[in-house]
Amino acid sequence: MRELDPRREISPDERMAVAAAREIHDGDVAFIGTGLPMVAAYLAKATHAPGVRLVFESGIVDPEPRELAMGVGDYKLAHGSTKIAGTAYALSLLQGGRVDIGFLGTAEIDAFGNLNSTVIGAYRKPRVRLPGSGGANDIASMAKRFVTICRMDRRRFVEKLQYLTTPGFLTGPGAREAAGLPGAGPVRVITDLAILGFDPETNRLRVEELYPGISLDAVRAQCGFDLGEAGSIGEAPVPTPGQLHLLRDVIDPEGIYIGPKRA
Amino acid sequence: MTSSGKLIPLEEVPRFFRDGMSLTAGGFAHSHQPMALLRELIRSGAKNLTLMGVAECWVAEFLAAAGVLDRAYFSNFMFEGFGRCRQFSEGVEAGRIEVEDHSHFGMVCRLQASALGLPFMPMRAMAGTDIVAVPGFEPAEEKSSFIASPFGNGHVTAVSPLKPDVAIIHAARADRLGNVQLFGTTSVVEEQARAAGTVIVSAEEIVETDVIRRQPELTIIPGLMVDAVVHLPYGAHPTGVYGYYEHDADHLGAYYAASRSSGDVRDFLRCWVRDMPDHWAYLDAVGMAKLMSLRTDPALGYARREGAHA
Repeated sequence: MRELDPRREISPDERMAVAAAREIHDGDVAFIGTGLPMVAAYLAKATHAPGVRLVFESGIVDPEPRELAMGVGDYKLAHGSTKIAGTAYALSLLQGGRVDIGFLGTAEIDAFGNLNSTVIGAYRKPRVRLPGSGGANDIASMAKRFVTICRMDRRRFVEKLQYLTTPGFLTGPGAREAAGLPGAGPVRVITDLAILGFDPETNRLRVEELYPGISLDAVRAQCGFDLGEAGSIGEAPVPTPGQLHLLRDVIDPEGIYIGPKRA
Repeated sequence: MTSSGKLIPLEEVPRFFRDGMSLTAGGFAHSHQPMALLRELIRSGAKNLTLMGVAECWVAEFLAAAGVLDRAYFSNFMFEGFGRCRQFSEGVEAGRIEVEDHSHFGMVCRLQASALGLPFMPMRAMAGTDIVAVPGFEPAEEKSSFIASPFGNGHVTAVSPLKPDVAIIHAARADRLGNVQLFGTTSVVEEQARAAGTVIVSAEEIVETDVIRRQPELTIIPGLMVDAVVHLPYGAHPTGVYGYYEHDADHLGAYYAASRSSGDVRDFLRCWVRDMPDHWAYLDAVGMAKLMSLRTDPALGYARREGAHA
């Protein structure tokens, strides 16, 4: 193993990638998008979850890429895949109950883990038009569980979404079942300050783990809604030298998704 | 039918286009978008178009930049590695382009309803969200309905069919009968071709039907669904075609920089679309050296990163 550069601090993206990798269980079928989820999935595969099978909405199933792809449509990602198909096929695996876990990013998130990736402002005359759901709504509706990865601040963690693109727990207990959504919903929200989960009684977000040096008050200050009473709070995982080596030297050596430039 | 079958030159394609038509286009991210057919569509002057799109971001962006896109039923338009589609997004923000949002699977299911000749398609996503609750230009009750299964085993979201007038698709190879083969990921072209009224395909290579018959499992669209075939090598440029060439990141980057200003984007379209006499002049302008540098390594299926092919 090459000696890690001691001057290079652990970046928030690296912490989030390690926390996201932990959510993947060995043997899972994981629906993966561009960016940190891709890095996290390959970290999991290289460590505790060698049996994970990855599915991408471009139609790539279980690939063995030799280089990190620039996106889910990148031809590098198709290398060594066990099946290559279309978008309809990949998404149908979600509806068929074949996908254990999916990862999402978001522009806004509310206390029930609902997400907005559609508009800032009014829907028909938005201030900012965002890219839209894509597969996000499908993953959140139909994967057995999902994890959201995003930085934490008051503009993102909001009391009321400007548009509900993607279902978390919708309006609370029982709402997903009433909407006929087959997946169990969100299990974790991984941020640069803390790792959050959901109260099983209320379905509302609560702090579960803090990164070293971050106080609960600091997290509350960056959240636009009441995070409720925290129970016992654990310590968020600190990337090990082995994980950092894999991230920096093997999975993303050019720093496409994680690296000093992005820190 | 003549010996050329469905094979037509690019300049004859505009007879399939008209003002106010709806269309759908193949491709995903920076892969196999029908860019040469799209440039011909813009040159034809057809306007007031409605796009029924899933992931054909470059098609949406160029139609928006050319000012000929009125409406879009879609699920996600963004440029992997660059960011949001600026001209499309600004068109929506300014009220020039009306939109109707879906999840990817929602769009796929609406196209599949047409493809399968059904009055609706049941599906399990989108329920409970603003995608079904907040209408764009289509009344919510005409888009979807939350219904009980007739068999008493749960509820589903029924979505109505979308039937595009025209599908434009770029593929790897085709024959004169319109049998079409595409390698790598296939985006939504199969469902789009089955849903559309008219299907126009451009291909990297025109091959004998015997070549198709030798590997029929690679055929993604059989000739019985195809109305016209155009031979357009590098017809997806600046996007890529799996097994042939990578997307042209420099060219896409130049467009993305130009898309910041309406003047620059107008100049870009004038240079690369409106004033371009034909596809061969376009390829000359891109340049042989650039085109060759994009060729994929047949063993890997992609081009090695810069520096790997000194």
